[in-house]
Amino acid sequence: MIKSLVITHGKLGEELIRVSEKILEKKLDIDCMGFDWQEDGSGIINKLEAYLNKNKKHQVIIFTDMFGGSPSNICLRYINPNVEVITGINLPGMLKYLTYKNKNLSFKELVKTIKNGMIEGINIIGEYLGEKKND
Amino acid sequence: MIKREIEITNKLGLHARAAAKLSHLANTFNSDIFLIYDQDKVNAKSLLGILTMAASIGNNITIVAKGKDEEKAVNKITELFHNKFNEEN
Repeated sequence: MIKSLVITHGKLGEELIRVSEKILEKKLDIDCMGFDWQEDGSGIINKLEAYLNKNKKHQVIIFTDMFGGSPSNICLRYINPNVEVITGINLPGMLKYLTYKNKNLSFKELVKTIKNGMIEGINIIGEYLGEKKND
Repeated sequence: MIKREIEITNKLGLHARAAAKLSHLANTFNSDIFLIYDQDKVNAKSLLGILTMAASIGNNITIVAKGKDEEKAVNKITELFHNKFNEEN
């Protein structure tokens, strides 16, 4: 089974999950941790270790908000074949994950599919419409 | 194969929640189902695919279904459009 966890600065992750729930009109089984601006990181590291320990029989995808940011950096030491981190999560990526997680993809394929969904969701509308008109 | 053209009549067009409902419904059928708008053809079972059409009120899209339950699929999807995705009175 694949479990997922969102770790972001502040309440960004909570809102991302709340909006995804609104769009898909269902309660989502995603855990969330917010990185407090004032803390040194030890609190969230403890929570993350407890989470991974609790889910050690599962594969875990951790979504963080920005490559190089504290939420991402603290996850680096926990990466292994059953734990992957995807940085820069956005709404298209979250929806991609939620609509593909039960489609019998391998863990690696699912992670790549999510990343592609995140990238596909980024467009400069003027260029995008221009490309469509020029097709 | 069944094709049916339909006009988008809900105010917000194929926005996120409408696309989620549409892809969720499309996934309940075995048939391959596509939506064609302008020169785009997208898989109706893909939420993000539907969003890339950026289709809004007044646009006509074509539903294309191929498979054993194609007729039921097109009818149910048409119904969802006619009901404005159940988001307007």
